[in-house]
Amino acid sequence: MMHTDFFVLAQQGFPEPMAAATLAHYLLVSALMFAIGLIGFLTRRNLIVMFLCTELMFQAAGLALIAFSRYHLEYSGQTFVIFVLTVAAAEAAMALALVVLLFKKRESLDADEWTEMKG
Amino acid sequence: MDHLIHPIALYLGLALVGLGLCVALPRAKVSPQLIGAMLAASGVGVILVLMGLNARDALPNLYFYVFSFVALGAALRVVTHPRPVYSAIYFILTILASCGLYLLLSAEFMAFALVIVYAGAILITYLFVIMLATQAPTEERTEGLERYDTAAREPMAATIASMALVAVLTGMLFTGSMELEPRMAGASQDALLAQLPRRVEDAMKDTGAIGFKDRIVDRDGDLQIDVEGRRALVAGPSGERWVDFPADLSPRNVEALGFNLLNAHPGSIEIAGVILLMAMLGAVVLSRRQVEIDEEAKAQQARNLMEGRGAEGQA
Repeated sequence: MMHTDFFVLAQQGFPEPMAAATLAHYLLVSALMFAIGLIGFLTRRNLIVMFLCTELMFQAAGLALIAFSRYHLEYSGQTFVIFVLTVAAAEAAMALALVVLLFKKRESLDADEWTEMKG
Repeated sequence: MDHLIHPIALYLGLALVGLGLCVALPRAKVSPQLIGAMLAASGVGVILVLMGLNARDALPNLYFYVFSFVALGAALRVVTHPRPVYSAIYFILTILASCGLYLLLSAEFMAFALVIVYAGAILITYLFVIMLATQAPTEERTEGLERYDTAAREPMAATIASMALVAVLTGMLFTGSMELEPRMAGASQDALLAQLPRRVEDAMKDTGAIGFKDRIVDRDGDLQIDVEGRRALVAGPSGERWVDFPADLSPRNVEALGFNLLNAHPGSIEIAGVILLMAMLGAVVLSRRQVEIDEEAKAQQARNLMEGRGAEGQA
């Protein structure tokens, strides 16, 4: 037996509350995306790819926020995604400026090149 | 509903996903990415099918599966692709698929803002930096990848740590979210219509309920809109009368989001602005190149300026 809305875009029943089981599906996707980003951040050595992976984790957080916003029919979740976007943009600007600076010094993007601060 | 999915089954599925991710990560020699991706996808598929069996009356629609498959697959490629440029482009694909998920969750404005800000601005910055910070190919090394791009650092430990985190998170979420009651189930945003006279007027004009020159009565800032009775007092050439709202009139996503942003979080916008300004200043200061000029060159420049000014004075 299949749900009648299986093939229908979600907005058509928008003001109706979303089932908790549906919320769980979105949260699973969000958690997996966060995990993939975390794995990438821990394993990759290229500084640029590491920062791309943090953006992936921001994405996952945004998806969870929007899913909860839809579940509670409360717009603050979407508002907070705007702030997540702001922080992501600021982080990208700063991080990439740093990456360019570091690349000029060592001609390499390897994160393992910068181990002076290691104890 | 107690369990959406049995915890043991969930952990086994996540172990399969972790195994796939671990296999797919780039290694010094050959890295069987296709096999890893298939393993991870089958793990996700098992979890989703089991969840779907337990939640038959509350399945998300078909597009959810399509978009989340594309988003997770592209995210996997972001993490595993040895070339940073391809990683960035796959990240754009992840963004576009997440926008599809946002649309399914009725967050239209955020979906399009995400395309513009992420895919349009942030990712282009990343691509620029990838171009700036890449070594030009030399004679002996034309088509090589850097060693740090092809070899992952501690793939096994990272995968185990991340998957343990996800197992704990999802286990908690699934049991917790089942007991979480929606805060305002079925509550509509129609109360906002009392502050949106132009929107109400336009909707009424579209259906032909009022004429082109009719206006909603505004008594010293007190708009005559009765949201509960779904009608408004309209003044026209033929006098004032109460007109009912069109049946499907309700605030749009953008309007509700804008009211929430400015009414509920006015201070946060200011802080966001300061953060962006600081980031801009920081980026300028960091990437500025200091030009060293010696005294001789400075004196020469000053003389040049003086001569130029003298010539202007004579002319």
